Amino acid sequence: MVNKIKLMFFFCLISVLCSACWSSHEIDTLGISIAAGIDLTESGYAVYHQVLNPRAITGNVETVGTPVYLFTQYGDNLFSATRKIALETPRRIYNAHLRMIILGEDMARNGIKDAIDFFMRNYEFRTDFYFAVARNKTAREVLEILTPLEFTPGLNMFESLKLAQERNGLTKEVNIVELAQIILAEGYEPVLPGIDISSGTADSDSAMTTLSGGKRLFYNGLGVFCDDKLIGWLSEEETLGFNYILGNAKNSPEYVYYNETDQITFELIRLHSKISAALKDEKPSINVKISIEAIIAAMEGDLDISKMENKIIAEQLLESKIKGICQNTVKKAQHDFRCDIFGFGEVIHRKYPDLWKKLKSNWRHEFSSLPVDFEIAVELKLPGQIIKPMFRKEK
Amino acid sequence: MRISRRRIRRSGYTHSSPDQVLYKQLQDNLTRIKTDFGQSDDLVVNCFEWTANPSLSYACIYIDTLVDKDTVNHLSEELMKLKRSPEQETDNLFILMRRQFSSIRDLKTGVKFIDLYAELLSGNTVFLADGNTEYLSIPTENKDSRAIEEPSSQTVIRGPKEGFSERINTNILLVRKRIRSHHVKLENLTVGNLTRTAVSLMYIENIAKDTIVREIRRRIKEIETASILEGSYIEELIKDDKYSIFPEFLSTEKPDTVTAALLEGKVAIFVDGSPYALTAPAVFVEFLHSSEDFYHNFIVSSMVRLLRFIALFLTLLTPSAYIAITTFHQEIIPTPLLISIAAQREGVPFPTLIEAFLMETTFEVLREAGVRMPRAIGSAISIVGALVLGQAAVEAGIISAVMVIIVSMTAIYSFTVPNYEMSNAVRIIRFIFMVLAGVLGLYGVFMGLIILTLHLCKLKSIGIPYLMPLAPWIKNENKDSLLRFPLWSLKYRPFGIRGEDKRKTAQTSMKKGG
Repeated sequence: MVNKIKLMFFFCLISVLCSACWSSHEIDTLGISIAAGIDLTESGYAVYHQVLNPRAITGNVETVGTPVYLFTQYGDNLFSATRKIALETPRRIYNAHLRMIILGEDMARNGIKDAIDFFMRNYEFRTDFYFAVARNKTAREVLEILTPLEFTPGLNMFESLKLAQERNGLTKEVNIVELAQIILAEGYEPVLPGIDISSGTADSDSAMTTLSGGKRLFYNGLGVFCDDKLIGWLSEEETLGFNYILGNAKNSPEYVYYNETDQITFELIRLHSKISAALKDEKPSINVKISIEAIIAAMEGDLDISKMENKIIAEQLLESKIKGICQNTVKKAQHDFRCDIFGFGEVIHRKYPDLWKKLKSNWRHEFSSLPVDFEIAVELKLPGQIIKPMFRKEK
Repeated sequence: MRISRRRIRRSGYTHSSPDQVLYKQLQDNLTRIKTDFGQSDDLVVNCFEWTANPSLSYACIYIDTLVDKDTVNHLSEELMKLKRSPEQETDNLFILMRRQFSSIRDLKTGVKFIDLYAELLSGNTVFLADGNTEYLSIPTENKDSRAIEEPSSQTVIRGPKEGFSERINTNILLVRKRIRSHHVKLENLTVGNLTRTAVSLMYIENIAKDTIVREIRRRIKEIETASILEGSYIEELIKDDKYSIFPEFLSTEKPDTVTAALLEGKVAIFVDGSPYALTAPAVFVEFLHSSEDFYHNFIVSSMVRLLRFIALFLTLLTPSAYIAITTFHQEIIPTPLLISIAAQREGVPFPTLIEAFLMETTFEVLREAGVRMPRAIGSAISIVGALVLGQAAVEAGIISAVMVIIVSMTAIYSFTVPNYEMSNAVRIIRFIFMVLAGVLGLYGVFMGLIILTLHLCKLKSIGIPYLMPLAPWIKNENKDSLLRFPLWSLKYRPFGIRGEDKRKTAQTSMKKGG
């Protein structure tokens, strides 16, 4: 009996030891891909991987080379192109820490469904990376730019995208799960942030512009997709409107003119939006309620905001400004793109499933004539650290 | 209660005829004693023979190295006076001697050689009178021993700083003076056929559970061995799970810890020659308690206790978790951390598992060296360890800096475990976990944890589950396990260990005993 137990124990031990570190990979054998890019070329896909060069990143190790290296391979499909990278580096491309996927504009215009399937299906990818479309550029151009402060361009793009949506509402973060869900949903079309390159300054010798000749990456508008194909771009103001309608721009700045010349600048501190559908004469309509809390960030002129009537004037000015922005955005989507990027169709689908069955086949057409009205409620919370206008002369 | 029946190696050292009684003739006795002790030069046999009156012949025997010379000299003088006393009711010298010394404490008589030897070897002086088959033993033991000093292995900031020393009587005194109650019972036993080591059991009547006291007494009495040199011998010979790495008796140098254990109904075991006392039954959580916990504010103590438990887990798991995560599960490291780990791993020639083994082994070697070497060169080791091995290895690119951090964290965490035996157990298990992590990743670590938990669940200390009060979960007991609740809320002594007297707050036993 005891011998049997000993024998069993022995076999357990052997089975453990014979597995011999199955699927173990030392960190220094991995090429950690921090950003990837896809372009469409004549010979199929071009796949880029921006791979970390750990030696160049931490301060205490002697700096060798750039913080990241870009590996490029071509292939008919994404997976085999990725695997081909082993032809040029001994490090195994490790995708679990991928932060950004940059799609070239050509690729985006051609359809992104195949790419999304690959990134959803492959076990090594997580779902917390963001997509961006290189605006009028190829993905390669974007991925070749080195960035200041955060030396890893992939991380730089990732963090800056998150921050920008929160701080100014001029872009939007989209991860793969959200993207796939929107593409799958009826009456909802995706948008992806556009990423652009600022032209470098002429005197590229200056110490301030050593990285990539002073070229910087920046987010520029949102790319509007119909099905899975890029069809156009939203401008800065339209992007803001889009984010107001969907309640994404929670902390963006906004300004209005008072007395033609004097600006009042607000900082939004809270924003909630609620999209609801209603039926009017058998026709669907959409109502968007946006409630905003704002504080005053700066003021010109001599409006005394401490007075109740003036406070109400300021609130109303902001309300009409935001309403205008939102209406313009909806108009653009309805008439230029005829593409329901707000998910209004989805709202109608949920509330009136039977009606939706009739609408869905011709939704792009229906959408362009869908009446949308806005109710904006602004509440001014604080006048800031000072109350009265700074330079007003007391009479 | 599980009863352990184990055969302990029989020693060959029994006396040829243990029951041999003294002879009538003084000379016969002396010859026998001299033969038995053989070449021992420190055996002193002073024979006073009176050819005129042989019945007045007597012998004084002692072992020179064990006795206090002054006391022996004093005794001899007293005997001389005895000779000179003019009127004698009886001429039986033995009776006279007994009468003369009757005021001396611990005066013993006996008839067997084996008892006589025991007396001699305890440092007593034995008198034999011609024509008598009895001996008279007078305590002359040399009481030199180390003074009561501060414990070296269990230091505290607040609380008593006395520590046990090597003399069993001193140790018992230190505990006795803390509980001035006649309910404290002491039982003396002798263990070890050759060493005849004095072992004492101490417990508080009614507070200690009868069955536990009986079980410990039985187990100690069943020990058959030649020698007992330290309490750990007792523990190893009578513990419930003889193959387990975990200590099942709490060893302590501090009398206040023993006192507290006695008051919870535990039994203390003192062994002559050892500055450690054992208390049993001991449960797992106790090994992470310090007597000091009760001398500080309960909130502070609770936090510190939690910290110790966390540190125990970290010292056990930090290296293995690092190995598992960096070689199997890089995806769960936050990206910036992964980048800095990757940067430090660049150019390190060893796999993480080997690297970890190298460094952990080096640390264990340093630690062992630190214990063994003379105290004067202690600082040399720390310089060699910290500078030469740590910094130089990192700068040479042989070891990554993260690994040095991991090893030092492990080391520092391990020192928060108050009990040395427990910290040793964790030390060894850590290496097993490292292998599991290197072979199977976190999967292996968790398998190891499950096996470890099962093992701990299986252990018993004198029949008490080792993980009590966590498993089985006993709600009230947990007031004094992971946390330390205020004294006024601790109303009951530990369940399963306590005897009839359950409450801590009122002394119910006093009603009976007076």
